[in-house]
Amino acid sequence: MDLSKHPIAEQWFKQSDWQPYDFQVNTWDAIGKGYSGLLNAPTGFGKTYAIWFGVLQQYYKKQKPGIHCLWITPLRALSKEIYMATERVSDGLGLSYTIGLRSGDTSLKERTQQKKKMPNGLITTPESVHLLLAAKGYNDTFKNLQFVIIDEWHELMGTKRGVQIELALSRLKAINPELKIWGISATIGNLEEAEEVLLGGYGGKRTMIRTNLKKRIEIETIIPEVIEKYPWGGHLGIKLMEEVLPIIHKSNSTLLFTNTRSQCEIWYQRLLEREPDLAGAMALHHSALSDETRLWVENALHEGILKAVVCTSSLDLGVDFRPVDTVIQIGSPKGVARFMQRAGRSGHQPGAISKIYFLPTHSLEIIEGSALRHAVTHSEIEQRVPYIRSFDVLIQYLVTLAVSDGFRANETYEEVIKTHCFNSVTREEFNWCLLFITDGGSMLEAYDEFHKVVIENGLYVVTSKRVAMRHRLGIGTIVSDAMIQVTYVGGGRIGSIEEWFISRLSPGDSFWFTGKNLELIRIKDMTAYVKRSAGNKGAFPSWQGGRMPLSSQLSSTIRMKLDEYGKKKTDIEISSLSQLFEEQKMRSHLPHNDELLIEKIKTRDGYHVFFYPFEGRNVHEGMASLFAYRISQIKPMTFSIAMNDYGFELLSDQEIPVEEALGNALFDSSNISADIYASVNISEMAKRKFRDIATIAGLVFNGYPGKAVKTRHVQANSQLFFGVFTDFDPNNLLLQQAYDEVMTFQMEQVRMMQALQRMETQHVIIKDLEKFSPFCFPILTERFREKFTNEKFEDRVKKMLEQLDRA
Amino acid sequence: MTIDISGVAFTLLFQKALYKPDEELLIIADVHLGKASHFRKNGISLPSSAQQGDYDNLRSLFDLVQPKKVYFLGDLFHSSLNDDWHNFCDLVAAYKHIQFTLVRGNHDLINGSKFHDICVAVVDTIEDELFIYSHEPLNNVAAGKVNVVGHIHPGVVLSGMGRQSVKLPCFYMQEQLMILPAFGVLTGLYSMDQNKASHVYLVLSDSVRRL
Repeated sequence: MDLSKHPIAEQWFKQSDWQPYDFQVNTWDAIGKGYSGLLNAPTGFGKTYAIWFGVLQQYYKKQKPGIHCLWITPLRALSKEIYMATERVSDGLGLSYTIGLRSGDTSLKERTQQKKKMPNGLITTPESVHLLLAAKGYNDTFKNLQFVIIDEWHELMGTKRGVQIELALSRLKAINPELKIWGISATIGNLEEAEEVLLGGYGGKRTMIRTNLKKRIEIETIIPEVIEKYPWGGHLGIKLMEEVLPIIHKSNSTLLFTNTRSQCEIWYQRLLEREPDLAGAMALHHSALSDETRLWVENALHEGILKAVVCTSSLDLGVDFRPVDTVIQIGSPKGVARFMQRAGRSGHQPGAISKIYFLPTHSLEIIEGSALRHAVTHSEIEQRVPYIRSFDVLIQYLVTLAVSDGFRANETYEEVIKTHCFNSVTREEFNWCLLFITDGGSMLEAYDEFHKVVIENGLYVVTSKRVAMRHRLGIGTIVSDAMIQVTYVGGGRIGSIEEWFISRLSPGDSFWFTGKNLELIRIKDMTAYVKRSAGNKGAFPSWQGGRMPLSSQLSSTIRMKLDEYGKKKTDIEISSLSQLFEEQKMRSHLPHNDELLIEKIKTRDGYHVFFYPFEGRNVHEGMASLFAYRISQIKPMTFSIAMNDYGFELLSDQEIPVEEALGNALFDSSNISADIYASVNISEMAKRKFRDIATIAGLVFNGYPGKAVKTRHVQANSQLFFGVFTDFDPNNLLLQQAYDEVMTFQMEQVRMMQALQRMETQHVIIKDLEKFSPFCFPILTERFREKFTNEKFEDRVKKMLEQLDRA
Repeated sequence: MTIDISGVAFTLLFQKALYKPDEELLIIADVHLGKASHFRKNGISLPSSAQQGDYDNLRSLFDLVQPKKVYFLGDLFHSSLNDDWHNFCDLVAAYKHIQFTLVRGNHDLINGSKFHDICVAVVDTIEDELFIYSHEPLNNVAAGKVNVVGHIHPGVVLSGMGRQSVKLPCFYMQEQLMILPAFGVLTGLYSMDQNKASHVYLVLSDSVRRL
């Protein structure tokens, strides 16, 4: 291997007694030749160094002061990891290249020091980059910037944080057109698109480097001895704890991934109750913990002093905890990519096998173990759909630029349309955004005091300190509920928790948080003061969040696996469910791949109809609204809609004419755009999407925990804006965006079309149930419900009042 | 609909206001005028045309009821002084024969002298033999008296077959407390516990109905 062009790498690898992989040398070569690109490699094979030595080598060709390379990661834990890895190189080789870390964790002192003298390499997050762009004189900060590295780009691309990165790159590219961009991505179904989105329309040499190295993953499903015939969400998980303990004991160090923070808290608590010896050797990790606690857990994992950590997606990404040799996934991972990512947290050394256990939380979920194994073996990995035309992020970005050095409309327009996200945005639409931040929208009002961004000699700037401060505090695209800090009465921050949860408690009540039983003492200034409680009772905060939809890859594999039941050769997961399947056969019908099952039942609640397309929650939500809309064309009706990843339910107070609807081409996919649009209009999906949009665009904020900013009189919920815009400003681009997002992400229109086409060819089997079937039971018990109605509001109220009078 | 509180007749109006015929008194809570302007002044684009509905509603209610007196039970103006004030002045000027009183609420930051200039009285509470009018519910209301308030923006959830539900504004009575629905178009609803109420009166689109 010729490393003569890469002397720094050569020295380091020699010193460490390592052999570089081909892909590492190829990446160094490409960087040396001035390429931008995308590196696709599994974790644990040294992809950080594949980029890093290329960057270092370039620096020493032409040393300049200030930031030379920005390394952007989606997670603070990962930033720290990169920091240590790169710092090791500078230390080990005695290089002058300085490295700094900047994220929400960075202390004010460190920030001030950085401001005086920026390090050469700065490792940071998308939000922090935008905060740097919101600081005066940022042009100077970035004038010698040569490289931007986006780590775990696959994780960022399908989110609005990815849009933030695209926008930041458009600015940095304008400061230095010679800037090189490199992305690092795990394997996803649309790698080529991932490269296009990242590198935008800037021209220049570009390449993709892929490895043929494959991580070996071993998957084992934990199957309960007794299968419940009537499964419902979350119930089974804890019962399987007995199976989990021996796995923890025989492993060196285990990560238990849960899908929600509440599951995380519950599992931690129950494990500790069952096995008190684990105290001190077990920890929990989720995003609501205080920074100090999280960092402590991460360090302890590195040092190998923890036997087990119960965590959420907060530990999903490329963090290299060498001692970890086992991973347990609790509940459906919902997607193949996420499952592989989590599996990769174990056996981090090159060549080691990643061992992952799948622990189903209800019996139907057992099938997923089999489906996951199939998908992993055949590398059927999901695509990530990039956001386009995210006007909310654009509006936030424009104000960010106005807060610091100001911007000129023509220049900024030319910059942003080079990004993938905004390349279809017209000048008129861009002007609308300008109007939105200068005049408060498209309505020209004679007498108006709107004040946010002002134009001074053609430069768009923010002059009000208050506007600037509030904007800086609000930079970011991750929208959460209003949070309040949790602090011990005697001092010491524990973490932060949703305000609505705390507001339901009274002083004296206890609750579980961060694995501790806490008693609420008082709430003051967005802070909940608590003390440790000796008790063992208390509420677990429940968070929305386990609502991720099953991916299309996984759902089609599940349909295939389901069809294997009864055949000679089938996975253990499938055969273990025979009792449930037999019960389903007896009560209703077990559909084959060429059949579509519809179940009907009347209860005290009303008339229920269940459909089982096995297409994942998202598609079901859209399809349910579409069907509700089509059925309600027969007569005005009101529906309550519930769904899970396997099917959905329409419930109404009137009998649902499903046979008639089937006769009227209920599944028709040839001409559905108008019907979809109408159904989205009626349902509340767009209103819910608008919540995030309104927050990102700076219309709605929840106050800032621990910050003395008065906001009470400018707080309103997004529903108010949604209603007012609908009535008075229907062409508002943010409102349009909400509908577009429902169409692309919620309805997944393409996927729904394919599903409908498949259903048109299927044999429909309608069963009238006497009792609930194992399939419909978990849907029936879903608490989250969508509403759909095309009855007049007054008529509905009248009906309800009549029912009350009769009662 | 007309109800009896402490032996005095009150009319509950579906326009979200309370009328006391013996004094020809109209009582209105939580209008939140100037809210859109306040948001806009702070860089948040809430269309100010949305506020127009409040002025239209107030005018048609004054024309319909023709009261002698109007009590605004607090949060008449959303926050500090802004351009919407002129619209309010115009409204008051158009109804010179009505005697207006503002019972100050937590949102009413505008200096009292501004109100005095246009002949609107500003007080913290109004009390007579049977009733105490205030913005927020008072502690220790004397036995036999009823406290008439706003502030809460009460609503109740009505549910029916097929797990259906709707949320409606209401007049909410609980022992010595009568809570008015919020009048303003730019206000939301706070869900009340029906079981704790002595009476709940639903505000429908064209009538008021006891639940």
